Amino acid sequence: MSVMTIVQAINNALDIKLEEDKTVVVFGEDAGVEGGVFRVTEGLQKKHGVERVFDTPIAESAIVGTGLGMALSGLRPVVELQFDGFSYPAFNQVISNVSRMHNRSRGMYKAPMVIRFPYGGGINALEHHSESPEALYSHIPGLKVVVPSTPHDAKGLMIAAIESDDPVIFMEPKRIYRAIKQEVSNEKFSIPLGKAKVLAEGTDVTVVAFGAMIRECQKAMVMAKEAGISVELIDLRTIYPIDKETIKNSIRKTGRIVIVAEATESFSVGGELIAIANEEAFLYLEAPPRRVMGFDTIVPLAKGEPFYMITPDRIFYEIERTVKF
Amino acid sequence: MRYIFNFPDIGEGLDEGTILEWYVTKGQTIKAGDALVKMETDKVVADIPSPKAGTIVATFGKVGEVINVGNPLIELEIEGVFGEQAVAVAKAPQVTNHDEEKEVEEEAAAGVVGTMELAEKNAFLPASDENLPKSEAVAKPAQKVLATPLARAMAKDLNIDINKITGTGPSGRVSKTDIENYKPSKQPAAKQRDIQMDLTDAVTYEPLSQIRKAIAKNMINSKQNAAHMSIFEEVEISGLIRVREKYKKIYADRDAKLTYLPFIVKAVVQALKQHRQLNSQIDMENERMIYKNRYNIAIAVDSPEGLVVPVIKDADRLSIFEIAQKITELSGKARDRKLTLEDMRDGTFTITNYGSIGGIFATPVINYPQAAILGIGRIVKKPVVKDDQIAVGNVLGLSLSVDHRIVDGGEASRFVNKIMEYLADPISLLME
Amino acid sequence: MIFNDFDPREDKIFRIIDNDGKVINKELMPDLDDETVVQAYKHMLFFRTADQMAVSYQRQGRMYTFPPCMGHEAIHAASGMIMRDQDWLAPAFREVGIMLLKGVTLKEIFLYYMGNEEGSNYKKANHVLPISISIGSQFLHATGIGYSVKYQKKDELVFTSIGDGGTSEGDFSEALNFAGVWKVPVIYTIQNNQYAISVPVRNQTKSINLAIKSYAFGLPGIKVDGNDFFAMYAIYKEATEYAKAGNGAYLIEALTYRKGAHTTSDDPTKYRTKEEEMEWAKTDPLIRLKKYMDNKGIWKENEEELIAKYKLEVDKQFEEAENMSPYKLEDVFQHMYVDMPDDLKRQKADYEQFLTWKESRK
Repeated sequence: MSVMTIVQAINNALDIKLEEDKTVVVFGEDAGVEGGVFRVTEGLQKKHGVERVFDTPIAESAIVGTGLGMALSGLRPVVELQFDGFSYPAFNQVISNVSRMHNRSRGMYKAPMVIRFPYGGGINALEHHSESPEALYSHIPGLKVVVPSTPHDAKGLMIAAIESDDPVIFMEPKRIYRAIKQEVSNEKFSIPLGKAKVLAEGTDVTVVAFGAMIRECQKAMVMAKEAGISVELIDLRTIYPIDKETIKNSIRKTGRIVIVAEATESFSVGGELIAIANEEAFLYLEAPPRRVMGFDTIVPLAKGEPFYMITPDRIFYEIERTVKF
Repeated sequence: MRYIFNFPDIGEGLDEGTILEWYVTKGQTIKAGDALVKMETDKVVADIPSPKAGTIVATFGKVGEVINVGNPLIELEIEGVFGEQAVAVAKAPQVTNHDEEKEVEEEAAAGVVGTMELAEKNAFLPASDENLPKSEAVAKPAQKVLATPLARAMAKDLNIDINKITGTGPSGRVSKTDIENYKPSKQPAAKQRDIQMDLTDAVTYEPLSQIRKAIAKNMINSKQNAAHMSIFEEVEISGLIRVREKYKKIYADRDAKLTYLPFIVKAVVQALKQHRQLNSQIDMENERMIYKNRYNIAIAVDSPEGLVVPVIKDADRLSIFEIAQKITELSGKARDRKLTLEDMRDGTFTITNYGSIGGIFATPVINYPQAAILGIGRIVKKPVVKDDQIAVGNVLGLSLSVDHRIVDGGEASRFVNKIMEYLADPISLLME
Repeated sequence: MIFNDFDPREDKIFRIIDNDGKVINKELMPDLDDETVVQAYKHMLFFRTADQMAVSYQRQGRMYTFPPCMGHEAIHAASGMIMRDQDWLAPAFREVGIMLLKGVTLKEIFLYYMGNEEGSNYKKANHVLPISISIGSQFLHATGIGYSVKYQKKDELVFTSIGDGGTSEGDFSEALNFAGVWKVPVIYTIQNNQYAISVPVRNQTKSINLAIKSYAFGLPGIKVDGNDFFAMYAIYKEATEYAKAGNGAYLIEALTYRKGAHTTSDDPTKYRTKEEEMEWAKTDPLIRLKKYMDNKGIWKENEEELIAKYKLEVDKQFEEAENMSPYKLEDVFQHMYVDMPDDLKRQKADYEQFLTWKESRK
């Protein structure tokens, strides 16, 4: 066991896989010598060599496109895009090729690669450094989209992502990169993709969230408890494919669901979960499903960001409204 | 004004720096933006510029010394500002935080934009319980009724606990009809309870009839909504008695009972024409009065089940005899339980006659949502004063209840007085 | 090295035979025996026959669309004959000849254009990617494969092509830049057939030629007469040796002319003249090679009989494609993921219920 942050947990996962599987390569802008601007790949080049962990020119489309070429010819690349907003130049390669190669070639070629980038706001950053694009990626057939919320989960999910034969978009919640420490096993372990986790059992309302929002929900739960509201908290962990079974069972138990996510509200993961609530638990609903999400705006810069970022009291406010419906 | 400039957090995630070189000295006048000192930090060597123009009063720290972020670097005398002796401490650039978490930037990585939160030194989560066998079985979803949100809404509006209803819809779903059928009288649960409570024959139970239920509902509704106020009057009606006696014989063979009631109805109608407040309805929701242009006088009539209130429509267009006929007809129907919905509707004013049974005065309950109700009591032989002499008079008690929201005391009195005038002198009814 | 003598910065073009099949650069003539030369011509003849028949099938309504390769035969034959089985091909989409020589069958190619992805599931061909509809993206994939084979120390080279239009895409530049930095064993060919649908290359870029762009990325680049089989063969030979020796990537601009339309939905008369077509027809690769062989007296076959034989072969392949078993519902779902998510399973099951309902109403 070691106490790790999310950064350290992912670093550990990469280290373990680089050691165990020689087809794994890790690259991206500043990922080699410097170990990434968040130090997630720190020390890996030194240990595993410059051929396996290296820097690239600034060319996101190329990072993903060449990654695809490697993936379909025997390697398992873990490519880094420096920030969520910089995944956009590579979007064409993702939607046109990475997600489609297996289908296009009828299974002759697969794309076992991981595309990882830090995502999410709440850090007073510049434009393009606070995006939450999970809905964009989840909407593309052929991909899997994963978001850890704790160091333990980050390590287990990263290992599972690398071992997956399907391409995985791995979104790392940068706001809590170093804000949470946890005891994590030093051994290799993996967490299955497509499985959500019930973090707390409750009876009055189901709250579904992922990434940095989990912590905010947990704070809201304290407020809810004082108000006598019993909350069941679910961490999605994988956005696509989403764990409908766990969500369904929970809503059927509580009859209410509140979805908490940073991203733009319209046409979002929140919308998807509300569809799921209706499809799977219509007759059990006692209140309309609610989503607490970002406005249909660009994430404001630091001065405006406090309006945008979802806070525990706002989550509690929505929980209370739902329970009092 | 004295101004202290503290070593700022220049955004590289520092908490200290080493002074490499001072560019300014005590007494020197500087402009805003002039470099003050060369600082060496973990990441970079940087010149720190002055945020203000002024004269250096003091510098803090020698070359080679380590200064913490937030500690003073220089003190300035700012030009052009006089009279303030208080030392203004420069504010370090505020890094906005949207919640109260502590912000320590020890390890922010190079090239990172924004402020990263760091976990506190000794705070960490315990190991994950993933894949550990859980002590309790996986919680099964609690037993609940299935129901559409629409059905749930309906149940809620009716204050019914939907979980108590047995569903007959698909998959045992509680449907609208299930809820509708749950409303009516059958309350076996209640019965059970009473029987359990009282095993002696101290009480006898009988289910409520439809009429009784309706009466109960109407009475309480009226009392809860109208501001009941009653006034009582006596009127000497010897003249009326004589008229009635005469015509009763004449119309005896016309198959209509000529009681005093038709005369009273006529008097009421005439009085209502002059006091429209009593032939109205208040509409609080829309904040308006509804004045009735028809005179549909409802008469409280006894029936085997209880009191019913059939209506004489357009009593102003009927002669006294026609009114008598109508009353006879409606009473017959009531007795035979043949009253129709049409017979019962659209009353604008009610007269209740309990005199034949007993009672001189009463406090009748308004037939809501009407504005008033007139109660007719017994005719009693009483000493009255006539021409300053005591005589035997035939005195009728009148009890008028009004909705005090609509009818003021004065108006009520005037109305009753009018009726009394007509009854005291029946010919006057013909004049109007 | 050849590329040193034909500097694209001076707009030089590498050519071995002229339009009449006469050898004008004896020194650089590749060392090929007569049999090989004849075989090359036969390949090109087959390509052209198949190509014309494919267009015909489309016009008969038996195939949805087809991008004719007429004019590219020399490029295709030369690179196809140089490529070994273990070498990789990341094709653009006007590549029938190369793909055939790499082991892809006409049946598979026809199957694809009939609208069945199964055509991209090559049964025999090794290390060939499906054609790339997303213009230029294949350059990046090739670069990645190049890194991969170098990393795994495999004796494999990577061949990829792009059109003159594709060189404007960002991926083109990004790929070549990475190729330079990573020194990958990839041979990049620009098949410059003068047109990107209707846009002539002079409006595609103001660069004096396309080969010169290699200099921006530190790679050797050369402009070659793409309708000259010998020049193409010679340059591919040099490029493969260059790569095998560990020197990295090579950019070849092969000048040719798109004799046909962009695809069967395109009408070139709208944007180019008959005169221009006739001018370029003088450079036709088959004519030139034929003339060379005639000059040397090595062509002994009966061309008409050969074409008839080829037509039968093409027909046979086409019929096999047409008689392919029908597309199943599974085919829509089963290849999306290696590990199919529950949602896909459910969607498929839901659709099957719908089909059952539909059946019951018949």
